[in-house]
Amino acid sequence: MKGTQLGEFEELVLLIVGVLYPEAYGLSIREEIISQTNRKVAIGAVHSSLSRLQEKGFLKSELAEATHERGGRRKRLFSITADGKRALEKNHELRNALFNQIPEMALKGLQLSGI
Amino acid sequence: MPPKSADWVLHLFCKEDLLEEIEGDLFEHYQIERAEKPKWRANLAYWLHMANFLRPFAIKKFGQHSNFIIMYSSYFKFATRNMWRQKMNTSFNLIGLILAFTVTGFIYLHLQQELSYDSFHERSEDIYRVAWMGDNPQTRTPHPLAQAMVNDLPEVEAAVSLSPIYGAGLTRQAVKITLEKENISFLESNGFFVDSTFFDVFDFKFLEGNPETALKSPFGVLLSKSMAMRYFGDKPAVGQRLSFDVNTDMLEVVGVIEDAPVASHFHYDFLISYVTLKSLNFNDPWMSWDDFGHFNYLKLSPGSDAKILESKIPEWVKSYLNWSEDGIASLLAGEYSFALQPIEDIHLHSNIRWELESNSSFSYLLVYGISGLFILLISIINFVNLSTARSAERLKEVGVKKTLGAHKKQLLSQFTFESLLSSFIALFCSILLIYALENAFNQLVNGNIVAADIWQSEVIVFLLVITILTAVLAAVYPALYLNSFNPGQILKGMDQKKIGGSTVRNSLLTVQLIAAIVMVSGSLIINNQISFLKSKDLGFKQDNLMVVDLNNYDNKSELIKSKLLTHSGIEAISTISNVPGGSFNQHSIYTEEDPSNTVDASEMFVDNEAISVLGFEIVEGRMLDKAFAADSAGTSFLINERAALELNLEEPVGKTLFWQENETLVKGRIVGVVKDFHYKSLHVPIRPLIMLVRPRSYNYIVAKIDGQQIRTTIPQMEETYKEVFPSFDFTYRFLDEEISALYNEESRTLLLTSILSGISIFLAIAGLIGIVSIAIKQRVKEIGIRKTLGASLSQILILVNTKYLILAGISLVVAIPVSYLLMAKWLDNFTYQNAINPFVFIATAIAALALIFFTISVIAIKTAKRNPAYSLRVE
Repeated sequence: MKGTQLGEFEELVLLIVGVLYPEAYGLSIREEIISQTNRKVAIGAVHSSLSRLQEKGFLKSELAEATHERGGRRKRLFSITADGKRALEKNHELRNALFNQIPEMALKGLQLSGI
Repeated sequence: MPPKSADWVLHLFCKEDLLEEIEGDLFEHYQIERAEKPKWRANLAYWLHMANFLRPFAIKKFGQHSNFIIMYSSYFKFATRNMWRQKMNTSFNLIGLILAFTVTGFIYLHLQQELSYDSFHERSEDIYRVAWMGDNPQTRTPHPLAQAMVNDLPEVEAAVSLSPIYGAGLTRQAVKITLEKENISFLESNGFFVDSTFFDVFDFKFLEGNPETALKSPFGVLLSKSMAMRYFGDKPAVGQRLSFDVNTDMLEVVGVIEDAPVASHFHYDFLISYVTLKSLNFNDPWMSWDDFGHFNYLKLSPGSDAKILESKIPEWVKSYLNWSEDGIASLLAGEYSFALQPIEDIHLHSNIRWELESNSSFSYLLVYGISGLFILLISIINFVNLSTARSAERLKEVGVKKTLGAHKKQLLSQFTFESLLSSFIALFCSILLIYALENAFNQLVNGNIVAADIWQSEVIVFLLVITILTAVLAAVYPALYLNSFNPGQILKGMDQKKIGGSTVRNSLLTVQLIAAIVMVSGSLIINNQISFLKSKDLGFKQDNLMVVDLNNYDNKSELIKSKLLTHSGIEAISTISNVPGGSFNQHSIYTEEDPSNTVDASEMFVDNEAISVLGFEIVEGRMLDKAFAADSAGTSFLINERAALELNLEEPVGKTLFWQENETLVKGRIVGVVKDFHYKSLHVPIRPLIMLVRPRSYNYIVAKIDGQQIRTTIPQMEETYKEVFPSFDFTYRFLDEEISALYNEESRTLLLTSILSGISIFLAIAGLIGIVSIAIKQRVKEIGIRKTLGASLSQILILVNTKYLILAGISLVVAIPVSYLLMAKWLDNFTYQNAINPFVFIATAIAALALIFFTISVIAIKTAKRNPAYSLRVE
């Protein structure tokens, strides 16, 4: 298996795949990213990320039925694998641990939105 | 449907196993975009997202070490080196292509825009305007016609009658509209009266208000979006009151509709229902069958045949018209008719009396289209010719490649790659140019194209097709030709002259010259015709004549005339209903002797001075004169020669004439005949005209100003005008400017065709230079030998020139008749034509031959002067 590091955008995609389960595919993931984070994302960027995540073994996919609104083409539905879940958890824990280590002083006087 | 071209590109590079899901996503996204955005935006987005898949994960594995990548990167290296080495050649090639693609792109966009007029109505193919085809065809027909047609004829699904708000003398009236509480007031000139069925026929979108009731209530007004913005900004307009002229708060805003699209043959700012008029004056004769004074539009039920309907009209309409039996008989006989004009044809094909806006003419579009095609042809030939000529110099390269095992197919793809590279660079540059020159072009042709429209799939595909076609044509011939040689033979050294292809090149050169000569002689003929129109004696004076709008409600015309005359800068002054160059109302006239011969005559109400101020020439009888009581009473008539002819009057002066003004019949005497003058533009023939005194109908003051004192006189006039009419604005213009504005379209066409023919000469000469310089390079040795044997400089120049001059001769022989026929056809569009002057062709021929001789001599002279010792050393 290749490196198991998760990039920031990859983590976002992975999370969204989980959120949208079982209806996660390229376009719906992009729409969700735009509506949840207000980030402008090209369809190509999402697909590229999805294929990397699959290579790393964090995602698995299967083809669904063909639909009319896609001009009779099938869509590829993604779901998180056990490895993917572990990677998410690891990231989550790491972040929480690091956050908790920040001394109180460092945060004093900072606006919440400035964090 | 998303653009196919983008799909094609995707298929080309995308991995097979990813293709389905990617295409599916793109397709789905496209449908979403398409639902809320115009097509070109959705297409653009599709392309951008497609291009975003050009990432490593999605691209087919061509393999880092595959031949494909390596070969193309080497082709690229060869191509750039070649281009760089021959800077002169490369820039000629690129400039030519860029010019041609830019011109073609512009003309394509312009034609597309002009041809799309009024097609934005959903069922535009079923919408017709009813025009009246009499002696002097006109757009206007009676008001009751529209609804009567809906009631009686099953084919007519809906109909609307409308009319611009005309002032006296049927000139477009600017009405002062005021929002009292904000004290905002503008002069609005695009007001219309319309039937409540306006939206049953036209598809202008409603933004505010209720479309069902908006046009049914009296004193309601519908505003265009831009007019609503002028008065109310972003605030809601419905329910607000506006003052119409001096009638305080007369109108209530009942709705706001979108502005008419640019490509509409009429544009409104506000609409008032006829209901309002009828509530004011129910028996207005203007609303009756007698007055041909309204614009009537029909929407036919799908699939009905307009021609059949048209032929039914005379039989149907006769019961409505209160006409004499003679009139009805000539209607049934087809001497007059109600014609149905398809709404989509109005902008380009209708140019009759009282068009709502000045339309374009198809004949000019044709000139643009043909010029664009010629320029494209010339520059494609240039590119092909130069590439093939240059390929001879690359013989050794081909030889080496073949010995090292290059396939024929690979050579072909190398050449194709190189020319594709050039043509795509050119396409890219011309797209930039189209963006940069958008405004300049719009001004030039009075168009309203939008540069971003080139991304519409239709336009971009057209541009891509010509780009690729050019490149492929330029690549195929040299590749096939050079391929046909045996590499051994090539490497041994072949005489470059033996490498043929010159027949093909020379015939292409001839085609190019033909196109350039047709364009140059054509634009000279257009130039002659237009300067003929502009300089033709119109039969009246225009210099230093100032036209001032007269608000003659209080009959103060005599007062203002006498006051103005006290200024020393004013030499003479008169008042008049219509100025030459404008629109004229018309009614029928007939003589006492022959009442059945009625003639439609335009009318011009004049005072006694108008004839001398405007310099009309009296050929028989006398001018109008206040010494005669009948003249001042309006029962003395002046008619023009044309009217006398159509009334069959040998000795018109003294004859009794009837002038039928709507329901009143005026009986009077002809006191004089005016020499025919062009009171309308030269696009139409001179029609019968009647002139008489009628003070309440004067709309303009015409003042003859001393040219030296114009600057001081205008403020004096304004002051006097304000004294007499304190509540009106002083607006003036000069008659000569008004008249020349009638020929704006001609002036623009002239400028454009001059530019286009200039470009075509430039391109043709650039092509010639390229071909000749290569040909001379191949003949360096020959020239050297001839010089050692004693040939003089002039003999050598004649030698190199002969062939090309013969080609030019052949081109002239073909081009001149073609140009003659094309232009004779084009001139048929004009009422007054300047016959084609043979000198145009002689001048073109001499200029072409001289230019070719000069160009070739300049290129050849260096080689011809060189010491033969040097040229013979070349190997």
